[in-house]
Amino acid sequence: MNLEDYAQVSLEITGSILAGLLVAAIILIATGYNPWKGLYIMLTGGLGDLDYLLSRASFVLLTGLAFALPMLASAFNIGGEGQMYVGGIVALIASLITKNPWIAITAGAIAGAALGFITGALRAYREVNEVITAIMLNWIFYYISIFFITSYLYNPQAPYRSVSVPKGAQLGFIEIAGIKMHLIFPLALLTSFITYFLIFHTRIGYRIRVAGLSPDSARYSGINAKMTFTNSMTLGGLFGGLSGALNVIAFTYYMDQLLTSMVGMGFDGIGVALMGRDHPIGIIFSAIFFSMLLLGGQKMQIAMNVPKELTDALSGVIIISLAMPYAYKMLMSYLKIRRMMKVAGRSS
Amino acid sequence: MVISMPPMAVEFEGIHKIYPDGNIALRGASFSIEVGEIYGILGENGAGKTTLMRILYGEIKPTSGTIKIFDHVAKFSGPWDAIKTGIGMVYQHFSLIGGFTVAENLILSALPLGISAQNVLERAKESMEETGLKVPLEERINSLPVGVRQRVEIVKALVRNAKILILDEPTSVLTPIEVEDLFEVLKKLRESGLTILFITHKLKEVKAITDKVTVLRKGQVMGTRRTKEVSELELARMMVEREVLFSLERSPTRPGNPLLEVKDLWVRSDSGLPAVKGVNLSIRAGEILGIAGVQGNGQKEFVEAISGIRKPEKGTIKLKGEDITDLDNSKVYRRGLAYIPDMRSMGLVMDIDLVSNLLLTRLEEFSPDGVIRWRKAVEETKSVMKLFNVVAESVRTQVRRLSGGNQQKFMLGREIARKPDVIIASEPTHGLDVGATEYVRNKLVELRDSGKAVLLISTDLDEIMQLSDRIAVMYEGELIAQGPTREFNLEKIGLLMGGVKVEP
Ligand SMILES: Nc1ncnc2c1ncn2[C@@H]1O[C@H](COP(=O)(O)OP(=O)(O)OP(=O)(O)O)[C@@H](O)[C@H]1O
Ligand SMILES: [Mg+2]
Repeated sequence: MNLEDYAQVSLEITGSILAGLLVAAIILIATGYNPWKGLYIMLTGGLGDLDYLLSRASFVLLTGLAFALPMLASAFNIGGEGQMYVGGIVALIASLITKNPWIAITAGAIAGAALGFITGALRAYREVNEVITAIMLNWIFYYISIFFITSYLYNPQAPYRSVSVPKGAQLGFIEIAGIKMHLIFPLALLTSFITYFLIFHTRIGYRIRVAGLSPDSARYSGINAKMTFTNSMTLGGLFGGLSGALNVIAFTYYMDQLLTSMVGMGFDGIGVALMGRDHPIGIIFSAIFFSMLLLGGQKMQIAMNVPKELTDALSGVIIISLAMPYAYKMLMSYLKIRRMMKVAGRSS
Repeated sequence: MVISMPPMAVEFEGIHKIYPDGNIALRGASFSIEVGEIYGILGENGAGKTTLMRILYGEIKPTSGTIKIFDHVAKFSGPWDAIKTGIGMVYQHFSLIGGFTVAENLILSALPLGISAQNVLERAKESMEETGLKVPLEERINSLPVGVRQRVEIVKALVRNAKILILDEPTSVLTPIEVEDLFEVLKKLRESGLTILFITHKLKEVKAITDKVTVLRKGQVMGTRRTKEVSELELARMMVEREVLFSLERSPTRPGNPLLEVKDLWVRSDSGLPAVKGVNLSIRAGEILGIAGVQGNGQKEFVEAISGIRKPEKGTIKLKGEDITDLDNSKVYRRGLAYIPDMRSMGLVMDIDLVSNLLLTRLEEFSPDGVIRWRKAVEETKSVMKLFNVVAESVRTQVRRLSGGNQQKFMLGREIARKPDVIIASEPTHGLDVGATEYVRNKLVELRDSGKAVLLISTDLDEIMQLSDRIAVMYEGELIAQGPTREFNLEKIGLLMGGVKVEP
């Protein structure tokens, strides 16, 4: 990107935020609430507990990466949900066996990667649409996780949830400027930077980008399109699994039988990725902003007695207006590449 | 006394077409087609044949000029008007729905004309009986071979009551037996009173099937002849004759060892048909071999097989004496072969910057351990830009923002800077202005003079004649002639490109 591109992107983002806020204000006025107060709480309400905000943001940051990286190769990873569940449950089991947080987190991430690999490989080598596979796997692993929690891992004292991660395997806190913070956000941040490096400074990232931008050029340069597609989905799955693993090992320390602490975060990652322009650094900001709106919305429900549906609608409006310009561009190029792949697929 | 004039099906009067991007495709084409004729339209790539047919079919509007159909001036606002007037078009790429049966496709296509499903099927059966065109109504399109799909397209036109049938290069996708069958069908259709416009590059086919033929060159009518009264030689001459634009300084060749040797190479096209059929060829150091031919005669498959992008079916390819037949392209490149494809959107990624594009064929070189050395890549990009006069704001400029000439120079430069021994250049000057063209051609000659082997693929005969030390002509997947440039002239190449074998 050069200066012009940055200028264009910032203009686009500023415009989108203003447009989103305007529509949100109109909705508030129409439903009889004070728009100034409402938007103020919505935007600042989440800032009260910084650690909580950033930890929450980390999970969607990671599922955001899980969507964003495959998207660069024109692969559609909407399996973030299932990858989170699997990452969580595998990490929990690994923590019970090994009593080591790092082994547990690694195991969870690898489990997510395996799921991503299956989804990607099925698409690349067997022409099974990855979106459909992902949706099915999301549900399959939702119920498998619940099955494990309620049948083998349930807590005798509180049967609605699993046993806890053993004390020694719980990832602790660090202190920054006197504030006690979960280790989650620093880890997510690190992952973002590593991903940035991977995408823009390594061979594998280069291949992923070329394959996504121009299948013809990829063929010309000798990039193995099928392998690159699968690799990108595997990496995406890794981030999804990591998100789930951190959720259990470093945040909740157990899983409840409806997976309430995870459900939806995989999908939220799609919005975060699109708001962040599919860029690992942009996604850091969009994940925080996303969580700000979410927590601010909860504050607003309490402070102004606004129904949840309305706050959800408001944050939805703002997020969509931010994600829309990019989502549109992505969708168009995605469809174009799909058509080309179809033609190429028929011919080979 | 009344002179009875034969009734006219189509009359083109002074058709001009300038495309929005300034491309002049037709410059006042005028000719008439009688009812009941099979009428050939012949011309090189880019002569304007397809453009003229799209205008007749109402798909695009002429910039000026009029068309009369059955003596009435036609004012079409879209293909539907043309279809209602009785014009049917069979595109080279068929417009059928793969998952539907033949019958469903026919019904669907007649829907806007308000013909009932029952009626459509009756008509289809009727016209099949009349013309001997057999298509299986209940089969899905997907399961049918290409030749049969083409028949479905013809039946589709008949069901819609076509009186004039346009076939744009109908034989290019067919096997020889399917071509025979098609010709039989066309003759029957002519008997039943249909007028057929048959577009082709192939002289043999013109002779075999048409009654009359018009030759187009650069958007102009070069002449119209009764097929019986014209020789293939004359047609070839009409098709290719021109003045040479500029000439090039070239020293005599001192060819060395063979660098690229191809033996009995067979390659299939994307659709699985044999596209290259037993090609033998050898290029020596310090030599340019030019392959002439009409597009789509296997050139693309041939060069893709040599560069390792496409797997050949049979045969061997040797680079500097080493067998590279089964190597992937990145390995082939590393052993000293460079391929400059005819599509710039293949040889370059338009949406990333110049430095990133430098890496496209040189990734390993700049990422020895998997991590890209951007600083080194930037330096190399700058040096390529300087050496090859690539004009761009900076190395970080998106390739899309460069002019076509600069894109081409950069692509060429990137490949030459790798110091390959064998360079394959496919249509290296396509779409370039005179200056850029001259630059690129000079570079190719320089390469030859410095002892490299150059394989030039071009549909531009001037380019072939100017640059090549030896010439080969590719026709339907075979090299039907090969020899030193002095044994060729435009006329002879024109005949060979049209599939007519001439004795030396
Ligand atoms: N949509 C378009 N926009 C701009 N220029 C075009 C377009 N279509 C064709 N041209 C140009 O018009 C000229 C005539 O093209 P046309 O496709 O009619 O040739 P043709 O005789 O059918 O060639 P071929 O044998 O390769 O099919 C060419 O120079 C071509 O590049
Ligand atoms: Mg054409």
